[in-house]
Parts: sequence; C-alpha cells; structure tokens
Amino acid sequence: MSAIKKIFGILWTLMGVGIVPLVIKQAMKEIAAKPSEENWIFWSIVIVVLMPIIAFSLITFGVFALKGEYDTIE
Amino acid sequence: MARDNAYQTEEVSSTRRVIAASSVGTLIEWYDFYIFGTLAKIISEQFFPKDNPTAALLATLATFAAGFVVRPFGALFFGRLGDLIGRKYTFLVTLVIMGGSTFAIGLVPGYKVIGFFAPAIVFLLRLLQGLALGGEYGGAATYVAEHSPAGRRGFWTSFIQTTATLGLFLALGIILIVRTTLTVPVFEDWGWRIPFIVSAFLVGVSIFIRMKMSESPMFVKMKKEGKTSKNPLAESFKQKDNLKMVLIALLGATAGQGVVWYTGQFYALSFLQNACNIDFEQSNTIILIALVLGTPFFVIFGALSDKIGRKYIMMAGMLIAVIAYRPIYTMMYNAADLKQKTEVVEQTKISEPKVEVKGTDTVTTIVTKKTFSDGTTYKETVKKTIPLDEAKRAKLEAAGKLKPETKKSVILPKNLYYNMIAFVFIQVIFVTMVYGPIAAFLVEIFPTRIRYTSMSLPYHIGNGVFGGLVPLISTRLVEASRPGPGLPPSDPLAGLWYPILIAGVSFVIGSLYISNKTNNLDAE
Repeated sequence: MSAIKKIFGILWTLMGVGIVPLVIKQAMKEIAAKPSEENWIFWSIVIVVLMPIIAFSLITFGVFALKGEYDTIE
Repeated sequence: MARDNAYQTEEVSSTRRVIAASSVGTLIEWYDFYIFGTLAKIISEQFFPKDNPTAALLATLATFAAGFVVRPFGALFFGRLGDLIGRKYTFLVTLVIMGGSTFAIGLVPGYKVIGFFAPAIVFLLRLLQGLALGGEYGGAATYVAEHSPAGRRGFWTSFIQTTATLGLFLALGIILIVRTTLTVPVFEDWGWRIPFIVSAFLVGVSIFIRMKMSESPMFVKMKKEGKTSKNPLAESFKQKDNLKMVLIALLGATAGQGVVWYTGQFYALSFLQNACNIDFEQSNTIILIALVLGTPFFVIFGALSDKIGRKYIMMAGMLIAVIAYRPIYTMMYNAADLKQKTEVVEQTKISEPKVEVKGTDTVTTIVTKKTFSDGTTYKETVKKTIPLDEAKRAKLEAAGKLKPETKKSVILPKNLYYNMIAFVFIQVIFVTMVYGPIAAFLVEIFPTRIRYTSMSLPYHIGNGVFGGLVPLISTRLVEASRPGPGLPPSDPLAGLWYPILIAGVSFVIGSLYISNKTNNLDAE
C-alpha cells in the first residue's frame, strides 16, 4: 500500500504542476477569441482563486505522499 | 445504577440542548446565505446593468462566488479567534455579522436609484456574509463535537450537517410563500426584499438562544490548564504534521463533498429551471420535497459512520455520484424535452400581440400555449421592447440589442413531476452520504487546541471554492458547448464534467490516504 501511495504521489505532483500552463493557455486562447467582460471575470476567478489552490495543494500533497508522510495512515 | 441512569439521561438532555441551540443559529446563517443565491436572477436585474442579461447573471454568480471565496478567509480569522478566546463568543459574533449583512441587503436601493453604489454595496455586504459563514460552521461543528460522547459523535454532529440543507429549504420555502402571496411583478419589484428583512427576526431569536449557552468543556479545561494555542494559524499550517492532515481533509474529503453537495441541490435547481425550463413553482417544489425526504439521511449516515467508520460512507457517496450523475441528468432532461413529446396541435393557442407603452418604450407581448399528449404543457412568452425614440432605436438595432426576450415555462404532468422528485432525491442521498459524517471526520483528525482553525479552512475551501464555483463553472461549460450564439448547447449535460472530475479525484485520494478508524478527541 505504501508503494502505491508513493507512486500516486508522483501523479498528484505532476497534476499540480501541469494544471498551471494548461489553464493559463486555455484562458489566453478564449480571451483572445472573445475579449468580453464575462470571459475576463470567469478566467480571473479560475486563475486567481481556483488554480492556485489546486496547484499548491496537489503539489504539496504529492510531495508529502512521495516522502511517505501518509504511510502510517491505514 | 439508578444514579448512573439519571446521569446518562441528564447528559443526553444536555447534549440535545447544545445541538438545538447550535443548529438553530447555523441553520439561520445558511438561510441568510442561500436567499441571495436563490434570488440570483432578480438580484441581477435589480443591482447590475441590464444591457446584457448573461453578463448580469454572471456578475451575480461572480458575487455569489465572491461570497464563497471569502469563506476561507472567514474560516482563518474566526477559526483563530475561536481557538484563542473560545468557541461560544466567536460564533455569536459571526451570527450578528451575518444577520446584519442580510438585513442590509434587503434595504439597499436598486441600480436605477443609486447607480453604481447599488452593486458596490451589495458586493461588500455579500463579502461580509461570506466571512461570517466562514467562521460559523467550524465553530458549531467543533462545539457540538466537543460536547458529544465518544462513539456517538457522528450521530450528534450530523444534526449540524442537516442545517445547510434545512437552511436552503427554509430559503426556498420563504421565497415561495412570499412569491405566491404577492403577484410575480410585485415580488420582482420589491417583494424579494422580504426574505432578507425576515432574517433580522430569525437572527434575533438565535442570538437570544446562543447567549444562554456555556463554553465547550474541552476548551474550558484546556484554558484552565493554560494549554490553549498561542498562534493557531502557525500551528495549523506551518507544522508539517498538521498541514498534511489539512491537505488530506481538503483533497480527499471536502473538495469532493463540496461539489456533490452543490450539484445535488443548487445545480439540480438551476438545471430544472434553465436546461429543462420547468416552471418556477414546480421546480422549487421538486427540490423542496426531495430535500424534506432526504434530510433524515444525514442523521442516518452520521449514526452509521459511528458503527462502520466515516471513510467508507463518504467514499461510497462520491463514487456513486460520479457514476450516476450523467444517467440521472439524462433522464431529467428527457422527461422535460419537448422534442421527444407529441404536440396536440388542435390545443395550441397563440395570443394576439399585446402592445403597451411603458415609459419611453413600446412593449409587444405574444404568448403561445402548447399541450402535449403526455399531459405536459408549455408556455412561451415573447416580449419585444422597442424605444419610442427613433435615434435610440436605430442605435440599439445597429448594436444587435433589439432581440426579443423569451420566457419558456414547462409544466410537467404528475407522473413526470414525481419522477423528477425521485431523481433529485437520489442526488440528495449522495449529499447525505458525503456530508452526514464529515463534521465528525474533520473534528477527529485535528487536536483541540487548533481544531476550530484547522477544520474550518479545508471545509470552506472544499465547500466554498470547489463547491461554490459549481454554478459558475458548470454554466460556463454548457455555454462552451453551444455551436454558435443563440443556438442550443450540443451537450446540455456538459456542466456535470466539473463535479464529476473533482469528486472522482477526491474519491481516489480519499480511498488511498484516509483512515477508516475513528479517532478520540484529545483534550489538547
């Protein structure tokens, strides 16, 4: 079980790192295609609020899992 | 023996008083919070420029989200206070802030009267509501848990868990009563303010009840021994041992729970009204009945979690929700899809155009009524507003802003109405599975000295940010599936991908990393 937790730790870290360029690229694409107020509001909320929370928590959690911090939890 | 029994009876009775006093206040806070979301469309018309209805609605949803996004800050601010000075006074303060802000929203003049100040004031008051709610829930859950006997904590805290749904129920109920008592135009003009103003009375009663409560016994003991935390924020989030539990609580439990909660209640209502075009009264009663039928299951799953563990129930709820959402919503959509029904053409009625002069505009209204072979009825009201002033009309025409406003309303026959209740009820069951045991789960993984702070943050990020953004992100996903402006979405269920993805990830993390063992609450 500990090995699986650690392997998944790599996955969570990669997901956390990967989400940042993915979201920013999509936001730039959509705002460039239609620079409306609603587009700006939506992507601002996603980039300023949601993305940092997901990225930070997944990366930190992934690193902890990789280091075996959760191995003792059964 | 008799003395033991008397002591136990006294203890149960005291716990019941604690639960009742805590729950009433929390319920009212949820009520205050949800009337804003439930009246989003009207608030959008009252406080935001009307030029673009989608922008106005999104502006309201953004305000809605702002209310949710500030919740984590409220959790940090009041959580810290609760761990420093005590649970009782902290959640008394949150109640006063919440009640005051809600009452004030009901009194703010509209955009037509005070212009930009109207949305600005409403926005600020909404932020205050978010802050107050951020401090309330963690305090109530901690307070009740610290009064509950070991082995029954899931059961007792589940009553606090019912308050969010009952608060929504109360909000929908009061709105429905006010709306049906007044006429629709009067409700949309000023009647919508009544549910906000009613809050002042409810909060007053709740403050009176809470003033009589005593402090949590664990906190009192810790304070006497001088063991309270000097810096709850640093202890909660800078110490690795605690931070790792905060992360597991967020990613493995509250994020998934948050999206399941909002999908099963708010998204379901929005889907019924906007994707299925179900009549306002019918869509609200569908949700109300499903909530009433589903609410006891919070307590059932809370109590069950004392026996078989919190993890299994929460994870099962998330997994079933992920698998079942699309089939359930497909059935909901099909039940109201007029393209799949046979129209009884001879019963179709199209009214003569009704032309009225309203202020500086000419308003032309045409009403079409259709009946279908399964008993479904459909009413479409097309309203075209044209300015009397030629220059203004030409300007709006050139900008493509003279499009008619269309209101669609589907009324389902009894059998399909009951089916809809069943579909929403199933989703409420998912909600009760993930939400019923979660307060007990959260309080048990953090130590008493920093419990209020530590449990509040993951709860409010999970519910406020991940869950609270369900309406905004799901609306956006449906909009993105439209092949062109004004065309119907290619996938009306596209909005479900967000909750499915978040709950799916949360299920995997929770299953792998969360323990099913029930921890005892320590006194430190």
